[in-house]
Amino acid sequence: MKTHISPTALARDTRFNRQTSEDRFTDPRSTMEVGHVDPMAEDVGDRARRRMHGIFVGEIQALEGAGRTAFDFPAGDDYANGEIPYELKLDMARQCWDEARHCEISIKLAEHMGGELGEYVENTMLFEAACHNDPVFRLAGVNRALEGLAIDVFTQMRDFGRETGDPVMVYCEDFMLADEVTHVKMGSKWLRAVTENDPERRKSALEFQRVVDGLFNFRGQRGEEYESPIRLARQFRKMAGFTDGEVDVIAEAAAKERAAIEAEQMAASILAE
Amino acid sequence: MASSPRTPFAPWDRRELPGKFTVEETARRVGHYKWFEMRMFELMAGWIATIPELDIKLRLGTHSYHHAFHSELWHKRLPELREMNPERKTVAPNPELEAFVTELGAPEGDDKTLEKLVGMYRVALPAVISTYTYHRNNTSKITDSPTIRSLQFCLNDDMEEWVEAEMTIQSLITDADDARRAADRQAELTTLLIAAGGIAGPGSVGSFDLEES
Ligand SMILES: [Fe+2]
Ligand SMILES: [Fe+2]
Repeated sequence: MKTHISPTALARDTRFNRQTSEDRFTDPRSTMEVGHVDPMAEDVGDRARRRMHGIFVGEIQALEGAGRTAFDFPAGDDYANGEIPYELKLDMARQCWDEARHCEISIKLAEHMGGELGEYVENTMLFEAACHNDPVFRLAGVNRALEGLAIDVFTQMRDFGRETGDPVMVYCEDFMLADEVTHVKMGSKWLRAVTENDPERRKSALEFQRVVDGLFNFRGQRGEEYESPIRLARQFRKMAGFTDGEVDVIAEAAAKERAAIEAEQMAASILAE
Repeated sequence: MASSPRTPFAPWDRRELPGKFTVEETARRVGHYKWFEMRMFELMAGWIATIPELDIKLRLGTHSYHHAFHSELWHKRLPELREMNPERKTVAPNPELEAFVTELGAPEGDDKTLEKLVGMYRVALPAVISTYTYHRNNTSKITDSPTIRSLQFCLNDDMEEWVEAEMTIQSLITDADDARRAADRQAELTTLLIAAGGIAGPGSVGSFDLEES
């Protein structure tokens, strides 16, 4: 089997419909707006099912991505030439097991919510980031940026379970949250270890992380307010090795994007008048 | 109050001192085990993205971790067997086993799930189970019990995987063509494994030779 497959090589059964990141970002409709899963909203059922399906496809890709990282790079200490620590490979295999459980959990939760596999489109952004040639970029883009997002999402879904009186949802989301904190911690630890003598590589990997974070601002919908469609879970992010400064950067970038969109909308409505 | 003396071994404890393997021989075998377990967990992990069947993806994710864990058990056992540089012993016993692993990992496409699973679970995994069972049954139950404990951990996972995977393979074989594909793949890989002598080289599962045994 060859190493470094293309993101399009992802194997799926016929139920799934794929959307690449390019498709998503060039869609003139506002498909980036995920919407707050508000327990009081009239369409809360559909919003929650859509969110759960998004979590599920994220989990499969996290499983597949961790698997590729365990396979693609040989164990060794020649980090400059594509080798990675043996223990990092072990962590990636461990992550495979965790993500496989997360798939099982989200499939069962989605079924309980009346959802169906393949009901919503699958965006492959996570796996695209997991196909980067540099393992350090995979750690930054997947383990830190996207698994960091998973920390936010699971915290929010756990709270949603509390607000809607669903103890099974609370129980499952809390366990998954614990696993995701562990995955982000792995990312922080190995990114630091592998780039210890290569500050340039670390800098560009962190830059890549910011780009991925920026793409997942969902048009400025991340924030720390209760109504934010994606609420930043500062406390759990810090547990996973994020600094306050790093969380501030994500919040500020989202706020900026939100302000720009609001200004755009206001300008459009003035023009329309 | 002084208690009356008892035999140091309980009457039901029949463990004996002699074992078949020296410290060096044990380290050699353990190094080959670690090498092979690494190849198993890497292949299972790499295949996940290339397999369309959702249930199989999830099982491979779980099994991959089992073999990473097994490789780590052997990695940690090596320094206890006086091998202070575990990498030195983390090797294939011979080029023939390397060739076997290369062929084991050759199936790539999303229409090759049957070939992938037959290779891993009808050839590679049974070879691991038999080699570990032979080792467990032939080493000293007293002096080498740390190795036995690790072998037993591995065997517990392996036996469970074997049953699970065999049921999955049976679900994929639905007609005579599938049966032929599975049999051909098994024969092809078994032939390569015979050339290697097993996952720890010749003698992986002992010998029936009157002099060698
Ligand atoms: Fe996950
Ligand atoms: Fe994760």
